[in-house]
Amino acid sequence: MSDRVIHVEELVREYPMGGEKVLALRGLTLSIRRNEYVAIMGPSGSGKSTLMNLLGCLDTPSGGDYWLNGQEVSRLTDDALARVRNKEIGFVFQTFNLLPRASALHNVELPLVYAGVGSRERRERAVRALTRVGLQNRMHHRPNELSGGQRQRVAIARALVNEPSLLLADEPTGNLDSTTSEEIMRVFSELHAQGQTIVVVTHEPSIAAHAERVVVLRDGKLDSDTRNRAAA
Amino acid sequence: MLSCSMPIREAFRLALQSVLGSKLRSFFTLLGIIVSVAFLVAVVAVIQGMNAYVKDTMTGAMIGTNAFQVRRLPIAIGLLSDEELKAIQRRPKLTMDDAEAVRRALPDAQAISIQSGWPTPTSDISHRNNTVGDVMIFGVTPDYQLVLDYRFAAGEPLSDPDIRERRPVAVVGSEVAEKLFGTAERAIGQRVRLAGREMRIKGVTARKGRVLGQSFDGFALIPISTFEAIYGRRLTTTVSVKMRNPEEIAGAMDRAQEAMRLSRHLRPAEVDNFTIDKADALVNFWRRLTKVLFTVIPAVVCIGIVVGGIVIMNIMLMSVNERTREIGIRKALGATRRDIRRQFLIESLVLATLGGIFGVAAGWGLSVVVSQFTPLPARITGWSVAVSLLLGAGTGVTFGVYPAARASRLDPIAALRAE
Repeated sequence: MSDRVIHVEELVREYPMGGEKVLALRGLTLSIRRNEYVAIMGPSGSGKSTLMNLLGCLDTPSGGDYWLNGQEVSRLTDDALARVRNKEIGFVFQTFNLLPRASALHNVELPLVYAGVGSRERRERAVRALTRVGLQNRMHHRPNELSGGQRQRVAIARALVNEPSLLLADEPTGNLDSTTSEEIMRVFSELHAQGQTIVVVTHEPSIAAHAERVVVLRDGKLDSDTRNRAAA
Repeated sequence: MLSCSMPIREAFRLALQSVLGSKLRSFFTLLGIIVSVAFLVAVVAVIQGMNAYVKDTMTGAMIGTNAFQVRRLPIAIGLLSDEELKAIQRRPKLTMDDAEAVRRALPDAQAISIQSGWPTPTSDISHRNNTVGDVMIFGVTPDYQLVLDYRFAAGEPLSDPDIRERRPVAVVGSEVAEKLFGTAERAIGQRVRLAGREMRIKGVTARKGRVLGQSFDGFALIPISTFEAIYGRRLTTTVSVKMRNPEEIAGAMDRAQEAMRLSRHLRPAEVDNFTIDKADALVNFWRRLTKVLFTVIPAVVCIGIVVGGIVIMNIMLMSVNERTREIGIRKALGATRRDIRRQFLIESLVLATLGGIFGVAAGWGLSVVVSQFTPLPARITGWSVAVSLLLGAGTGVTFGVYPAARASRLDPIAALRAE
């Protein structure tokens, strides 16, 4: 078995737009190994959001192949993709995307609910995940009772609770001040040190600097793929 | 492997949370269903209550228990067609001879009476300056008092010599006696004016109470011979037969029919020119009437339910719209279409079932109020409650399908971007 968590080959994604077809990705090939920490960068319109949606199995490509953790996922049905997301991927969003009326604990339990895990085990695993991000004292608070940094920690705990093969973060510090941003990036680095594979999509070089590898997209194609000496 | 989706229990918890999260909105959403179901439960309760009442009380009070009648025309005359009505108009009146023939055929009867029939004439009864208006006057033979199980609060019943000698005497209901003289005892032996004649009050019956707001104590019984001297022989004169046990009634009705045919000299091919009815006829007549209601109710309830269902569908669509983001989050975290569909379907099921429950409660309350403040009795029946709850749940599922399907088909990327 290969240790590649992600392998995409000749990935194409086109969108119909006013009768014409717009190519957001024009044949991208990329591999990410287990326990890599990769930042995906690029100016707006470079196709990084499209790539992030495809890597996150929220969308399927118009052409090309995508192996996630050894499984070909580029031609799956909606429901099969939902199961893959549930098992393999942990999302961290710019806007946190927590359920506003649910406690931190319940938010973290949610992926386990859809995985069909029994309520006692669910609770134990959610508590463990929240403890991992240092929120063991805020478990019963609702999102609006938490600071931005704390909310993002809840989201990270939620992303980790299913022990995914890939942690996928989309501008995770976009809504946070610089101090809090540093704090969140430290959490990412710790997770990486513990063996987690992480992909962060960002347009901020200071965030990308935390990763050990930086992939830059331009016009739907790979522009550069470099090792980050500082982080490595 | 365990099923890879949200357990039902979780979905129900979520649904309750969401419905109770906006109580006022849920209530207004459910108004249609609540009103329809309350209407259903209350109306059925009133009809069922009346059914029971007619059966238990009215027949006893009007025909007598364990009794049947030999009549010129059937009790449920309102149900006959014009032709049938015309055919029976030529039937002869019942006579003393008919009553005598029935009596000979039924030596085991507890009582056989003859009485003036419908419409019962009314008259004022006055004593000096006191007058009781519109008292129903029945001309009867003594056995009538046995057929209707009258008990006497004071005095004594009409007797055979009263009939034979056409005496000017009367037995009055407790209400008449109390209005004129204060108590039953004081009425005995008093002379009153009744239908323009002077009569002596011989007995006062014990209270029978009221049925449907109608008093059964505002009457006067006079000898049928006296009655016919005043009003003439009535077309509707009726013979009543009271048996000792309910089992004896069927056989006794057959023997009475045979005796009547002999007395009337009917040939085997000729149809009866009289009717033998028992209390059931009155109950059946009432049932036939309520059957009409039972066909109208479903139509009204259906309209209410459909309107209520559309409101639920609307609110669910609104809710799907408002919660687009939530749906996106759930999908990103691994909810399948089925999970989302089930979540919203169960939510609308819970919502509508709550409507059903509140509707039943409101209907229940309404029937209690009705039976408390109007003479109509009410009796809640299990089946109307069951039907109501099923109707509520069914409405929720039916009208929840479309919003739930829409929610489940949302694209997770677009949904996550929604505000």
